[in-house]
Amino acid sequence: MDSLEVFDVESAIAPEQEFYRKIIEDNLSSLKLAPAIGRIKVVLRPEDSLFQMAILLRDVGTRVTTADIADMEVKPIASEIIISIKKEQYIPELLGKLWERYGKANISQPDRWTVTISTDNPRAEAAFLKDMMVADPRHRLHENLVDFAIRVTPEGFRVRYHLYKGNQFIFVASEEALKHEWIEEAGAMLEELTKGGKK
Amino acid sequence: MAVLRPYLYTGGVHKHGLLIELLEDLGGYIIQKVVTGTEVNLIMLIPEKDIPIVKKQSEELLGMMVEAPLTGVEIAVVSPTLASHHLPHSACDIAEYLRHPGANTNMIGLARGMGRRVSLSMDYERRLINEHDIAVFTFGSFSDCIINKKPKLFEGIEIPIVVTGGPDLKTEEVPGADLYVGSIGRTSHRLRKTEEISALDKLNEGVGKIADNIRKQQAKDPLAVLPARVMKEIENQVPEIRTVLSPAPLTLQLNGLRVKLPYDEFHEKIEKLEFDEGVTLSELANISKSKMKNYILIKIKSKSDVGFAI
Repeated sequence: MDSLEVFDVESAIAPEQEFYRKIIEDNLSSLKLAPAIGRIKVVLRPEDSLFQMAILLRDVGTRVTTADIADMEVKPIASEIIISIKKEQYIPELLGKLWERYGKANISQPDRWTVTISTDNPRAEAAFLKDMMVADPRHRLHENLVDFAIRVTPEGFRVRYHLYKGNQFIFVASEEALKHEWIEEAGAMLEELTKGGKK
Repeated sequence: MAVLRPYLYTGGVHKHGLLIELLEDLGGYIIQKVVTGTEVNLIMLIPEKDIPIVKKQSEELLGMMVEAPLTGVEIAVVSPTLASHHLPHSACDIAEYLRHPGANTNMIGLARGMGRRVSLSMDYERRLINEHDIAVFTFGSFSDCIINKKPKLFEGIEIPIVVTGGPDLKTEEVPGADLYVGSIGRTSHRLRKTEEISALDKLNEGVGKIADNIRKQQAKDPLAVLPARVMKEIENQVPEIRTVLSPAPLTLQLNGLRVKLPYDEFHEKIEKLEFDEGVTLSELANISKSKMKNYILIKIKSKSDVGFAI
């Protein structure tokens, strides 16, 4: 599936449809979501105060552990663990996790690629760190998707339903109590996308 | 009374004092002075017959002088809420663009202005908006909302109402609006495309016309004193105004001004402000506590109310 191979926005009035398509494009690019989304369909019905969105996601990376992004060296006599980072993009997450576990005072970063941890039990800690999850792209994607959905929905539509399962995402929002058939309609939109969308 | 024309001067800081001195000699007023780095922006009122003299001086200083038709107009830019759906684009872009021709804008986000059925405004908000000269409401992309649902936010607004939105509607279609400008709906990007900029130009032009109409109405029964003159007297008689850090410590309006000093401490000083003619400001104007922070709001009475004008 290519990124954004289906991008449908439907609304009764054509110019409004174009405005909305632009809003969605802008938000996709500001959240850097475009590469993660394969097919997307949005239906707007302002007269019913209704917003429906169905998204089919592309494959995203698996969870990242410390061993994936860095080499570790244990110094039992100095009570230290030295981490040499190979993939720079995960440094903020790694540091955040380390600060939480050991405290900022016990962690130093002599240069960009090296992190030193002072600990009483370096061997056991190193074994733990090796398998520690640093980042989960799926989790981040979920956060971004929810953020995206809230940003593109008209602001007053505060009654929301969302479903995130595997690579499927459904979002329905309205100002009134949600009707069951609205959610079913969104489900049908998703099915249509799975079959390849409207050609 | 000399007719004053609003102009905006942009030039270098070097020797710009000459221009200010010239203006004082001619009997004009500096409304606002903004120094950014080595640049200075002066918004000023110049006596009509002396404009060529000021223009000559500004040319000598290698500056630029353009007419600023919205000088001395305070505009409320009202967005349904202060959520990321409306800010910074498009509400801030609109406010920023209205400042180009010299207006002072305040951004007001309603507490519960969003949505169709649920949107509403509070008494406090309506009174705050009514303190301004013109209100610009920034709405979204759906014509159904703009025509049928949102106009209830205009209830209780007594000043001229300008509405911006996405669809291309006629002013008559939006009940309660004095002007509707399309192609400025909800966006998540900075307004900089040709059609967006031309829509903003149209907005400025329309707001300028509304301000002119208010001025024309005023000319039939002029104010007892020019707001710009009150401004100058406050600068001379209330030195504390120089310690205020707001960009416009004295904000001019078409029929008054907002003084950004605490009301309780300073209102007596303002009421007792004296003019050369021997009258005090409290005889010429209503002085009240502004709904905005703790500021002082001066609304100048008309000549017919007071019986004379100075």
